[in-house]
Amino acid sequence: MSYKPQEHDWLSYLYGELEGVEREKVEQYLLTNAAAREEYESFKRLRGVMSSVSDKEVIAPPIFVGDNSRQVYFWQSSVFKTVMSIAATLLLLMIVGRLTDIRVSTAGNQFTLSFGEPTKPQREVPVQVASINAEDVQKMINTSLQQNNAAMQTSWNASQEKLDASIRHNLATNSGKIDRLVREASTASQDQIRSYVTSLQTENVAMVKNYFELTNSEQKEYIENLLVDFAKYLKQQRNDDLQLVETRLNSLEQNTSVFKEETQQILSSIITTVGAPVQTKETKY
Amino acid sequence: MAETLVDIAMMHSDTLITRAKQGDQNAQGKLVQLWYKRIYNFSYKFFLDHDLAMEATQKTFISMCRSLAGLQDVARFKSWLYKIAVNYCREEARRRKGSRALSFDIVWNKEAEDSPQWEGSGHRHHNPESQYHQSELSEILQEALLELSEEQREVVIMKEYEGLKFREIAEVLNISENTVKSRMYYGLDGLKKILEKKNLTKDTLGYEL
Repeated sequence: MSYKPQEHDWLSYLYGELEGVEREKVEQYLLTNAAAREEYESFKRLRGVMSSVSDKEVIAPPIFVGDNSRQVYFWQSSVFKTVMSIAATLLLLMIVGRLTDIRVSTAGNQFTLSFGEPTKPQREVPVQVASINAEDVQKMINTSLQQNNAAMQTSWNASQEKLDASIRHNLATNSGKIDRLVREASTASQDQIRSYVTSLQTENVAMVKNYFELTNSEQKEYIENLLVDFAKYLKQQRNDDLQLVETRLNSLEQNTSVFKEETQQILSSIITTVGAPVQTKETKY
Repeated sequence: MAETLVDIAMMHSDTLITRAKQGDQNAQGKLVQLWYKRIYNFSYKFFLDHDLAMEATQKTFISMCRSLAGLQDVARFKSWLYKIAVNYCREEARRRKGSRALSFDIVWNKEAEDSPQWEGSGHRHHNPESQYHQSELSEILQEALLELSEEQREVVIMKEYEGLKFREIAEVLNISENTVKSRMYYGLDGLKKILEKKNLTKDTLGYEL
């Protein structure tokens, strides 16, 4: 059979939309073709699986639709609304301007926006600059420099005076203190110095004595410990030597016994070797 | 898919549509009530996002009420309505793509947290474990749907979940029936591969089918 269903026949059959001869042809084809049958079954299975997706419940909300047939009047048109809103804005601006007395004026290159009558700005006293020439400027600079120099000189002088006064004051204070100290030192009596020196000597003697005592006892202890350690060392050394000698003696003894055994073995083997040919000779004859 | 009273009402709503077409607001309201759930679910599966789905659905019905008078053939109301919905979904998707990247994880987690699937559709499963598996499977499937291309996704949703015929889908999308079937074929094939990649084979699904 050369018939092979087309893709669209195939799907129509799957969804039960194929009728008549075409349907029979596809059914026949499926009966004879195992691979096609398997594919058909797989699609059927897929449809079975897909049917497990259920619908979601939903409540229809009320839908309000504007009546399109209603006549649209001129004042409802968007153009009218736009024009009216612009007019309303302008009117509002005018009312606000009237209430706040906004004045807008342009004079020369000035734009002025003011609330109420604009107040005249106070004129500054004009500085006459027209009659000044280079010499005057030079004079003014010189005068200014002189004034400045004079002011600086005065300031320096004042600072110098202040510094001198401060140094003088400090010197006076410090020298007073030093004098007082020297005076105090010179008033100390000879006895006081002697007693101070004596006490210093006594303290030194005691300190040296303590130091020597302490050093002696420490040295003694150290020497004792050293002697004990040395004795221990000697004892240990002696024990080790004894053990060594003993081990050597044992080893010598073992060697001697081994040598003895070996000698005996050699002797016995010589004896047996010497005795054997005599017997063989005897058996030959 | 078992037909409910609403489905039957939707199929026999010619008179209602004619009245709505003539400007009867009551009839329009009833049409909205009848079709709202379908259009919302289509949009929801398209976006996997409640807010976006609500927005697209509301726009669809506002547009429906405004332009119903221009509907030529009442019998084609269904495909006409889905056409509006598809256009709004595409427009919304374009807008969202341009303004912000919709993180799938965020959407997914948000959905998982906000509204567990078993709350809305627990009519078939009495066993909580089975209910849980069902909801898990549903989530995986919707995730897989979102991985399809927009063209394939809208065809698969319309065919598989909205039950439109291939002819109706072709009308909605203004393409040939064969193109619809081709998109459907590749869409299903793509879904199969995605599910296999997620280890959702027939063996693992045995208990679900």
